[in-house]
Amino acid sequence: MNSYAEIAVTTNFSFLRGASHPHEYVHAAEAKNLDAIGIADRNTLAGVVRAYEAWQEIKENTGKAPKLLIGARLVFVDGTPEILAYPSDRAAYGRLCRLLSAGKLRAPKGECLLTLEDLLKWQEGLLLVLMPPHPGREAAEIGLPAKTWNQERAQGKGGPGVIPKEKFAKTLLANHQELEALLVKLRHAAPGRVWLGAFMPYRGDDRRRLKNWQRMAHAAGVPLIATNDVLYHTPERRELQDVLTCIREHCTLETAGRVLEANAERYLKSPEEMARLFRDTPEAIAETIRFAERITFSLNQLQYHYPDEPVPKGKTADQHLADLTWAGAAERYPGGIPDSVCETLRKELALIEKMRIAQYFLTVYDVVRFAKSRGILCQGRGSAANSAVCFALGITNVDPTEIDLLFERFVSEERREPPDIDVDFEHERREEVIQYVYQRYGHHRAALTAARICYRPRSAIREVGKVFGLTEDVTARLASGVWGSWGDELKASEVRQGKLDPENLVIARAVRFANQLIGFPRHLSQHVGGLVLTNDRLDEIVPVGPATMKDRFFIEWDKDDIDALRIMKVDVLALGMLTCIRKAFALIEKHEHKRLSLATVPREESAVYAMLQKADAIGVFQVESRAQMNMLPRLKPKTFYDLVIEVAIVRPGPIQGDMVHPYLRRRNGQEAVTYESPAPEHGPPDELHAVLSKTLGVPLFQEQAMKLAIVAAKFTPAEANGLRRAMATFRNVGTINRFRCKLIEGMTARGYRREFAERCFQQIEGFGSYGFPESHAAAFAHLVYVSAWIKRFHPAAFACALLNSQPMGFYAPAEIVRDAREHGVEVRHVDVNFSEWDNTLERAENGALALRLGFRQVGGFSEDWAARLVAARGNGYADLEKVIHRAGLPKRALLILAEADGFGSLGIDRRTALWRLRRISAPAPLPLFEAQHVEEQEPEELAPLPAMPPSEHVLTDYEMLRLSLRAHLMEFLRDLFAAEGVLSCAEIAAAPDGAHAAAAGIVLVRQMPGDAGVVFVTLSDETGVCNVVVWPKLVEHFRREVMGARLMLAEGRVQRSPEGIVHLVAERLADRTGELDRLSEDEGKAPMCRAQAARYVHCHPRNERVIPRSRDFH
Amino acid sequence: MVAKRDHALRITALDRQATAHGLSSGMTVADARAIVPNLEVVQANEAADFRLLERIADWCGGFTPFVALDPPRALLLDITGAAHLFGGEAALLDQIRAELARRGFTVRGAIAGTAAAARALARYQNGAIAPPEQDAELITRLPVEALFLDPATTHALRRAGLKTIGQVAARSRTELTARFGSRMVFMLDHALGRAELPITPRLPAPDYRAEKRFAEPVISREGILATLAALARSLAAMMERQGVGARALEAFFFRSDGAVRRIAIATAAPTREAGIIARLFREKIDALADPLDPGFGFDMIRLCASRTERIETCPSDFETEAERQREIHFLIDRLSARFGSGRVLLFQPNNTHIPEAAFVLVPAQFAKPMQEAWVAVRNRGEAPRRPLRFFAPPEPVEVMAETPEGPPRQFRWRSALHTVCRVEGPERIAMEWWRYETPRPTRDYFRIEDEQGRRFWLYREGIPGRETPEAPACRWFLQGLFA
Repeated sequence: MNSYAEIAVTTNFSFLRGASHPHEYVHAAEAKNLDAIGIADRNTLAGVVRAYEAWQEIKENTGKAPKLLIGARLVFVDGTPEILAYPSDRAAYGRLCRLLSAGKLRAPKGECLLTLEDLLKWQEGLLLVLMPPHPGREAAEIGLPAKTWNQERAQGKGGPGVIPKEKFAKTLLANHQELEALLVKLRHAAPGRVWLGAFMPYRGDDRRRLKNWQRMAHAAGVPLIATNDVLYHTPERRELQDVLTCIREHCTLETAGRVLEANAERYLKSPEEMARLFRDTPEAIAETIRFAERITFSLNQLQYHYPDEPVPKGKTADQHLADLTWAGAAERYPGGIPDSVCETLRKELALIEKMRIAQYFLTVYDVVRFAKSRGILCQGRGSAANSAVCFALGITNVDPTEIDLLFERFVSEERREPPDIDVDFEHERREEVIQYVYQRYGHHRAALTAARICYRPRSAIREVGKVFGLTEDVTARLASGVWGSWGDELKASEVRQGKLDPENLVIARAVRFANQLIGFPRHLSQHVGGLVLTNDRLDEIVPVGPATMKDRFFIEWDKDDIDALRIMKVDVLALGMLTCIRKAFALIEKHEHKRLSLATVPREESAVYAMLQKADAIGVFQVESRAQMNMLPRLKPKTFYDLVIEVAIVRPGPIQGDMVHPYLRRRNGQEAVTYESPAPEHGPPDELHAVLSKTLGVPLFQEQAMKLAIVAAKFTPAEANGLRRAMATFRNVGTINRFRCKLIEGMTARGYRREFAERCFQQIEGFGSYGFPESHAAAFAHLVYVSAWIKRFHPAAFACALLNSQPMGFYAPAEIVRDAREHGVEVRHVDVNFSEWDNTLERAENGALALRLGFRQVGGFSEDWAARLVAARGNGYADLEKVIHRAGLPKRALLILAEADGFGSLGIDRRTALWRLRRISAPAPLPLFEAQHVEEQEPEELAPLPAMPPSEHVLTDYEMLRLSLRAHLMEFLRDLFAAEGVLSCAEIAAAPDGAHAAAAGIVLVRQMPGDAGVVFVTLSDETGVCNVVVWPKLVEHFRREVMGARLMLAEGRVQRSPEGIVHLVAERLADRTGELDRLSEDEGKAPMCRAQAARYVHCHPRNERVIPRSRDFH
Repeated sequence: MVAKRDHALRITALDRQATAHGLSSGMTVADARAIVPNLEVVQANEAADFRLLERIADWCGGFTPFVALDPPRALLLDITGAAHLFGGEAALLDQIRAELARRGFTVRGAIAGTAAAARALARYQNGAIAPPEQDAELITRLPVEALFLDPATTHALRRAGLKTIGQVAARSRTELTARFGSRMVFMLDHALGRAELPITPRLPAPDYRAEKRFAEPVISREGILATLAALARSLAAMMERQGVGARALEAFFFRSDGAVRRIAIATAAPTREAGIIARLFREKIDALADPLDPGFGFDMIRLCASRTERIETCPSDFETEAERQREIHFLIDRLSARFGSGRVLLFQPNNTHIPEAAFVLVPAQFAKPMQEAWVAVRNRGEAPRRPLRFFAPPEPVEVMAETPEGPPRQFRWRSALHTVCRVEGPERIAMEWWRYETPRPTRDYFRIEDEQGRRFWLYREGIPGRETPEAPACRWFLQGLFA
């Protein structure tokens, strides 16, 4: 029986080099009976946790697994050949992390610049294997990092610890003398911890080379160790590896030549095969076992410590947390803490103490307290909302008296997972919070988690297509078949959709390799907000590197890795609606002297629910989407809990599981509330009652589905959790099928209807990564209520705050403004004398608040210009000359302002203002010479210009502001369309069910939900909006109209639901975008050649999007 | 037609059908595909378009010598005094349009007193002919876009409500100058026929040609060669001025009885050294299978450079390497002139692992500058060098081996049995999988020395146990002999 340990393994975390996933190696090592396998990627530890997880799984299942060694392959910039570095113990692992961090910190994002000196500094406890360069491989790559580094340096980005230029080598030390000298040098620095790595590349002279290495190792006094310098786990991956190499080297397979490997030998070989290859030096094989035995480090030794929150003297962290909790609870319930809450708090605190995670709560509490002290709105989401302690500490806003909390969902003893608290902050001010955390914990204790960016169908087919020499056009066509960029496979049907033959050899190959490539990591980026905080040095747990953004750092592991190692993280997320709510609160306080906070907004106002029941929800958090707006009149929310359901029900899970309609029927009393039950011999008929009673027997929330698996299919809680994770993370078809069988068979075996079981599984599938647990839905429902309350009682402030928080939400400013006007808010145009950068509120003559558009709505106008304009305004500008001379704006700024018609209060319309401004000489005069310049230009006598027709004014408004307060564009075309018998949107809304009708309007939104092929188009005219449904058949036929029209005419049948929701089911579509050309012409004087002109003349760039592009969602 | 603009693949030109589908120039291909999924696109080739425009310009030279290019897709013809030759202006315009249309082009054209007016009319009023002195009347009705001003100015004029040229022309000149500068006013006047801006006709491409006529026909070889040498000198001077050298030269010998003999030579590198050119012709003339027959003598000899390339002038001629290169090129040229360029060949390395494809033979004169010199290949440290004698295709041999994956012990090649003494290998080379529909077996190469000390390069097809299940099924081949 041969023994062998492979220590030179390159996974696909060495981007575009390794052609196998870490877990594939671990499984292969087990299958081939290796004694140990060492993962060593190029200057990174990014893939080790994936390997560790696979290893743990094997160990749990079989009780025995090859030893997993964690290391890195150090690649140097100074000509030192690559060295495998394996930490022998925990301390050495910390040093390896420090070493890699040091290399990353001096390099641009994603790179790592190391020299031999760095290694010598951190080598203690590291086992070092010098890998001689592959024969026949030039050192072309060596110069590359040096080049980027030099570029950085040229840009003056050098920092402390940079490597001096002369250290960069152009070639590898490759000849024997140099290698031997290096070995001796390493041996002196790290006695007993240096090896010379040998490999057999099948180049004909392998045995000769091996002899040489043996001699060299002997001379240097270090042992020789056998490796296969592995790039993939099975020889079949050679082709993919070739493709990766081509992607990396930006060449095609045709031109790649010797850049590719000559054969498929760099796979994970069996001990027998290795023994045969190294039959001349069996000691090198034996050495692998000794090497593996030297390593005592394993990832489970990463003892993680929560940051030590300062605790008042004489108190433990648990006591401190308890004190804070009770004080907070007393504040939450001024009338006394309800008994039930008291009990919950006591229970939670006990569990927190038992699991010793009080520090974690204190840490999050500290971050939240900071945000509140700065007036930054924040609110916890996700499973944290299940905690009454979090509620008492002010981290979450879900009142335990309103929602039954499931603390076990958040912290559970059996799962042994760290709790995960996600907190949303205002999107514009989140950076302040992040900077606070950095300042508080230091960069060496706090960093962002990584986001692993993987190849997706589109990126994969694009890259692979290039490698096969397909033109950009063909790959674009292949990629275009994929709607949206998610998915895990490119299907033949999608290839056909691109009018390409999936049977064609090259196409078929490109698709095959693209499918293999999907899911391969491509690069690491920073996670949006997952912060990892530690008590000890973070860079001794995992390498830390800089992000693109200055002063941002992120670790090499993503959130799944962190979870697997039970390291705590706080998600500091950005939420636009919080910004909007804070701005609205500020406006209300300023103009109406009412102080509000998330907690003090009056609860359960029936007027708010009445508004939502009418689907009057533009701008309201979460429920403003088309699907939600359809649901509102059906669900008719009357209480807060209805909003929780509203938020959760319009999600892929319940929709795919077909749970929506049963729920609605039961709610409306059209169907009896019954519970699916098992056969009597298997359990009580009401066993699901406890799980589903809140939602009338229909599972809607994620945890209900999980509970269902436990109760009905007898999953263990761990299995149920595994099921959830299998769906959420990397989709492994095998695992999913196993769970599928277990769930459906488990349920049917116990006497449940198969159809119900299947629906349950589909729902779980649909939850995937989009599922909402109840607590999360409750946290969001709270924001739904608050934003709806503001909209209902303070519409002007709401619209103003919404506009000032853009971009966010579903609707363009034009829709927000229109909605505000429909709610009786007066909206005033941008004006040089009244506007500020932000939109503002003004008190109108009648006492109501009016919304004044700000300069931020003007396309191309800068905040700096606005500031100067406002600062120099004083008591107002009396005429155009005063604006020119006092504000000191560049001519461009003035022209933009004139185009936006911002001189209205001076009595000058846009055409006149523009014509007059064109005359001023380019730069504004310096303030010093202002006096001399005042009457610089002779006043000129001008013949009047032709008056601008209203339609052109409106069109220009749209160009400059994306909205117009004058009129809707469709008003000018109404006569034309009326003559054709086209109805207005309002008329459509009033039309009877089944009526044949046509509507025309500007396309606001196009949506193609899921892959059903139906397209929903929202048209807008001066009377309102009209929802058009285009069935897949028709989409095929009218594709050009569906995708291209900005002004669309839709003809079809009116469909009216019992709740009064009206759709126009299209039967014929027409693109009438051309009609817009009419609008810019002076009436009656259309030059004869305009139509031709439009076709040939290059448009002014801004003209090309007179109408804002519709917002399309796939 | 599509090209990459602003980081996206965009449409640069399209046909009528595409226009009818709602596509337009400047649209990204992705957007266009969303509208017309089975859209066929072709990569734009601006250089080729320009050449085509030049060819059309050449053809237009038949109507008037004054043809100017107005790229990307217009030509300006100065037809002053030419129209009557074709039956008047209308007839001329019709003829040009009809003949171009017959060649498959869509043509728009107009005639006016100034180039700007004609250009404006052609774009916006196809087929218009402005009566003499009355350009302005037609032009004023055109949209301002017809002035072909920069987009910002056009936009400003439209915004001001001045949407036709007439409306613009009605404003005072000072008012316009103050806003848009004097050039804009000039362009306006030019379009209205009030200012003249002559077109700049194309210059003919330089033509490297030297010829000598003789009052008394020459017959003697020396006379002919001396003439060629003299012509080579003047040709060289011409090329020197343009910074080019000849890659192909032709000599024409016009016999007094009207027969013309043409002799062509090619060079490996652009050259303009008169001595070399003359010598190459001498070699060629001496080597002619069908000797130059002067008959009663040549009364004219012409020498022209039919293909030229830019010469990268190097600062010094003293560099020995450059000098050596020149000598090698000269040798190649002389040999090729004598034996034909198809017979003077050069090995060029090819970047692949596959042994039989790792080199190609190309005519030395046309060999591209090597991307990868042999030196680099040699220094790559490829220990078992390739055999000098190479069999293509490789010859099958019968082999007896000890173990399936082991080296041969004995083999029979061309019916002779060889016993193996020394062996090194295997060198494992996998085939280029992307070239074949079904996988080709990997080869294991062995360097072998037999009892007589002869060295062979053998390979086994297929990795036993992995690619071929049964070891005896492995086939062996001899691909080469070492020296």
